[in-house]
Amino acid sequence: MSLELSDPDASRPFIEAANPTHPSLLDPTHQLDALFGVINIPNVFWIDEEGVIVRPPEPGWPPSDHYPEWLRGMLDERDAAAQARADEVEADDPALAAKIRGGQDKAKYVAALRDWAEKGSDSEYAMSPEQVLAASQDRPVGKSEGAAHFELANHLWRAGNHDAAIAHFNEAHRLQPENWTYKRQAWSLVGNEAAGGGEMGRFNQWPAPGQEDDWPFEGDFMTESGATPAGDYYPATI
Amino acid sequence: MISETLDISAADFHAGTGWEIKPEGACKGEVCVPLPDGYSAEHAAERLGMAVVRDDASGLVAVGPESLTGRALVTAEAPEVVLPDLDGNEFHLSSLRGKKVVVVAWAPY
Repeated sequence: MSLELSDPDASRPFIEAANPTHPSLLDPTHQLDALFGVINIPNVFWIDEEGVIVRPPEPGWPPSDHYPEWLRGMLDERDAAAQARADEVEADDPALAAKIRGGQDKAKYVAALRDWAEKGSDSEYAMSPEQVLAASQDRPVGKSEGAAHFELANHLWRAGNHDAAIAHFNEAHRLQPENWTYKRQAWSLVGNEAAGGGEMGRFNQWPAPGQEDDWPFEGDFMTESGATPAGDYYPATI
Repeated sequence: MISETLDISAADFHAGTGWEIKPEGACKGEVCVPLPDGYSAEHAAERLGMAVVRDDASGLVAVGPESLTGRALVTAEAPEVVLPDLDGNEFHLSSLRGKKVVVVAWAPY
């Protein structure tokens, strides 16, 4: 399910390239965030044959041998840089080093998924309903308020009222700072416009050099993701 | 959910939030929350911990998701999700009952 508020053509090239045999759907209002507690991409959750959630949303990258060559190289490089950074801070700040190393274990995740596919409720990775609820995102009322602001922002942007939308995006980001789909959606809309669209336009999620004063958000992807250790961005849950 | 007014019918509240208004209260899966004052969207939102945010310029009102338990999920029973595919055909998540389902949230950004 694609969490993108723009029209279907924004998601189309990716879906057509993947040419999946499974249903591939569009979620322009980020219903998955409100209904299930999705906060980042990729987030993955499991539902059994009876319609019962057996794992709530969690980081679900496959191992890098499933990626195209160019992406594999990029991500492997990033992992190597993170390991080097963890080694560097280990002596002074072991807690930070652990957080940097604490990102999702991609191979383990896919093995767990295969285990559940084979064993169903006998799989050690299938949670009880109580465990599922407890492992879902925390949600004090402030996060409900953040979601309401995001929904207004989403609606107003699609209606062409971008200034009003940006004010609500900023409120959503302030109230749900851990929600990366709320942030990256907003940053990518503005970054894509600034870049004049194009194949990679939506991956511009920070101000261009010299245009920092025109950037309408408190944060941007380059700054925030750089300051977020892997263990916080894609925490290991398996 | 987005609305032009907080005067939301029970049917629209159900469609917009997933909470169905029944004699025992507002219900989702096996969870029911009593509504001692009867149904109004304002009362139900308050009882369910749903934030109500108004945009004065447009007159729109947004009702956030429930927060009554402090967790994103109040029941492990998967809510219905109805979303379109690339061609605009609506797909019901519940149509996959009887199969294991893995839902992947992704985005083109």
